[in-house]
Amino acid sequence: MKWFLVLPTAALLSILMAPAADAAANDCHTCHSKKTIMNQGIHLYIDPLKYELTTHARIGCVSCHDNVTKRHPGDKIRPSRAKCQDCHAAVSAEYNQSMHGKYADCTDCHKPHAVKPLLAVSGRDINIQCAKCHEYAKTVKNHSKWLPQATLHIDALPCITCHTGSKNYVISMYMVKSVSGSSMGGVALASYEDLLPFLSTGEKVATLIDGDGDGAISLSELKKFNTSGKYRSLSLLGTMMPEVVTHNYEILDNRRDCTFCHASGPNAQQASDIAFPQQDGSYSRTPVEKGAILDILYGTPDFYMTGFTRNNTLSIIGALIAAGGLLVPILHGTLRFLTRNRRKEQ
Amino acid sequence: MSEGMTTEQIYMTPTPVRIWHWLNALGIVTLCITGIQIRFPEYANIFGTYKAAIKLHDVAGVTVSISFFLWIFYYLFVARSLVKLYVPNVEDIKRGLFTQAFFYFFYYFLGEKNPHTVSLDNKFNAIQKMSYLLIMFLFLPLVIASGLLLMNIAPLRGWIIMIGGIKFLVDAHYLIACSFFAFLCVHIYMATLGHTPFSHLRQMWTGWEEMESHPH
Ligand code: HEC
Ligand code: HEC
Ligand code: HEC
Ligand code: HEC
Ligand code: HEC
Ligand code: HEM
Repeated sequence: MKWFLVLPTAALLSILMAPAADAAANDCHTCHSKKTIMNQGIHLYIDPLKYELTTHARIGCVSCHDNVTKRHPGDKIRPSRAKCQDCHAAVSAEYNQSMHGKYADCTDCHKPHAVKPLLAVSGRDINIQCAKCHEYAKTVKNHSKWLPQATLHIDALPCITCHTGSKNYVISMYMVKSVSGSSMGGVALASYEDLLPFLSTGEKVATLIDGDGDGAISLSELKKFNTSGKYRSLSLLGTMMPEVVTHNYEILDNRRDCTFCHASGPNAQQASDIAFPQQDGSYSRTPVEKGAILDILYGTPDFYMTGFTRNNTLSIIGALIAAGGLLVPILHGTLRFLTRNRRKEQ
Repeated sequence: MSEGMTTEQIYMTPTPVRIWHWLNALGIVTLCITGIQIRFPEYANIFGTYKAAIKLHDVAGVTVSISFFLWIFYYLFVARSLVKLYVPNVEDIKRGLFTQAFFYFFYYFLGEKNPHTVSLDNKFNAIQKMSYLLIMFLFLPLVIASGLLLMNIAPLRGWIIMIGGIKFLVDAHYLIACSFFAFLCVHIYMATLGHTPFSHLRQMWTGWEEMESHPH
């Protein structure tokens, strides 16, 4: 967190020595990570917390803005910007071939100073990116023309699960808190701050469920979390995310077939993870024991995908009940047939 | 038929009840079949697509729900015979259930007469009362309530979490549905135990029950 120390001095220096401030110009943060620069334009501010998290932070500002002079900003030269495809040639090629290539640029969806890998975003982050152009209400309305329970699907799924191809999909769970005051008793995404009261100082968020802190969540840890009165206001909802990102935004016909997701064949994924919100706004995923999403009651009580995460034991109990009913006519009917003469005699 | 026996006709089931009954029966059968595809899509593709099964299940569910409320309304406010016909009395519980069970599972095979005589005021025997009461006032309301919640997960998420979660809801819905199937098997079979195998069924269609007349 060195800029907190550097900032005041450097700012002072820059005021005194600008426009020729050589040293200061190299540390772009001195100006661009200071909130006061927003006075000259909100877009000039770069959030250091978010920037530090990005892979881009490792390559440094000047790799992408290579013509920043020593006399910047006094020289009035508008710094150059690297093109995404300079480094992401494969993604760019794929994206530009897609229909969507002509509708939106890389930077419409990604802020270069706040990019995150797939594993660090929540489904909602993604949908917020899309909602900039694809308005939520309109999207729900359009999808409800063919998609049953469209609101539920659009709320629960990242758009890219249906609109990009990936070989495999993973079940990712996230925390919600109950919202008091709403007439239906709704829920809202739980942020890092919402979870803080449940943690002792310095504890990692994942220890809420991962009690032994081994970096993996077992079924018994899940059950403990779900049955503990302490966490009554928290629940785990689930979503389905692509395992890898592709950028060929398109309408995939097989997504119109519900059994693409709603069927549990032999290849059905039983693996899942939980995405915990972190202080910096990103998410960190902790893997969950295989099969936990199929547990009857306390594994994942608030996550169920019809046709997919059904519990086998329960299916069998139900079948036995049904078979019991079927047995009555068979047995009674047999005896009835064998004793038919007795009833005729009378 | 032994000598001296004649048959008589009684108008047993009024038209609204008959309409309700067959609408309900069609609805429940549709729900059972579509339900199989919805729970076991890899094994049963009966309606072409999963979506078709869901849509049909929803329509049938709403039909059954509405007709259930019409049924209650009719029996409570129009016919006003709900309690008399459906609620077992002390005698039914103390003796009726056992007498009737012994008849169905034992004396019937010996060729004895049904201990319960049907009349307009005493339409159902103790076992019928008990099972119809359970089905109509416990299972049907529960399956309707859970079904309606499952049709509205997004807006009612908070309630669903309060009840104990969507898994609990789905599992309860499924087990009750299986019980409905079991009931259906027994119910249809028992309906053939009348004066003739088809007399009850015909009664449920026309309203008129044919029975052995007895001296008044
Ligand atoms: C002394 C403070 C200061 C330092 C240090 C500084 N900048 Fe700037 N920068 C500014 C100001 C002020 C502007 C706005 C200039 C304008 O609008 O004319 C700006 C503008 C920019 C712009 C263009 C914004 C636009 O609207 O096109 C880029 C890109 C930029 N800076 C990158 C950098 C990089 C990279 C570094 C580090 C090598 C850096 N800056 C260092 C103050 C600074
Ligand atoms: C991976 C390449 C990359 C890195 C690293 C990078 N930038 Fe940028 N930066 C860009 C791109 C691309 C744009 C244009 C964004 C747009 O058009 O929305 C940009 C825009 C800007 C702007 C103008 C704001 C705007 O939205 O137009 C400023 C100021 C800026 N960068 C400063 C910095 C500073 C300071 C750093 C280092 C802390 C930095 N950049 C690191 C690629 C980069
Ligand atoms: C329509 C929105 C959109 C556009 C346009 C877009 N992306 Fe993405 N991109 C996403 C989403 C959504 C993700 C996955 C979530 C995340 O990482 O933010 C992603 C992820 C990525 C990743 C990280 C992949 C990983 O495995 O974590 C890279 C790299 C990337 N995009 C590059 C690009 C480049 C380069 C372009 C321009 C050619 C581009 N994107 C255009 C939406 C977009
Ligand atoms: C910068 C604006 C913008 C953003 C951000 C954006 N889109 Fe689009 N998208 C468009 C436009 C414009 C169209 C074409 C008009 C339409 O179909 O609505 C389009 C069309 C589409 C289509 C239909 C393509 C077809 O073949 O007809 C899909 C699917 C789509 N977008 C998905 C996404 C997803 C998923 C995201 C978020 C990851 C996203 N879009 C983000 C602007 C955007
Ligand atoms: C359950 C899978 C699924 C999800 C989730 C989904 N889509 Fe779609 N979407 C589709 C399918 C399938 C079509 C093609 C529908 C058709 O035939 O009209 C489509 C069509 C579209 C279209 C083009 C037609 C139109 O209605 O304008 C856009 C744009 C679009 N989706 C954007 C989005 C966005 C944005 C999201 C996330 C908020 C999203 N979709 C979530 C499956 C999905
Ligand atoms: C194809 C399926 C069905 C057939 C063939 C059938 C047949 C019959 C017959 C013959 C009767 C008259 C016998 C009697 O009064 O006990 C009857 C009555 C009744 N059945 Fe069914 N039934 C079916 C489905 C259902 C279902 C699904 C339910 C409830 C969920 C149901 C509930 C009742 C009730 C409550 C009565 C008494 C009605 C009254 O007179 O008030 N039946 N049924």
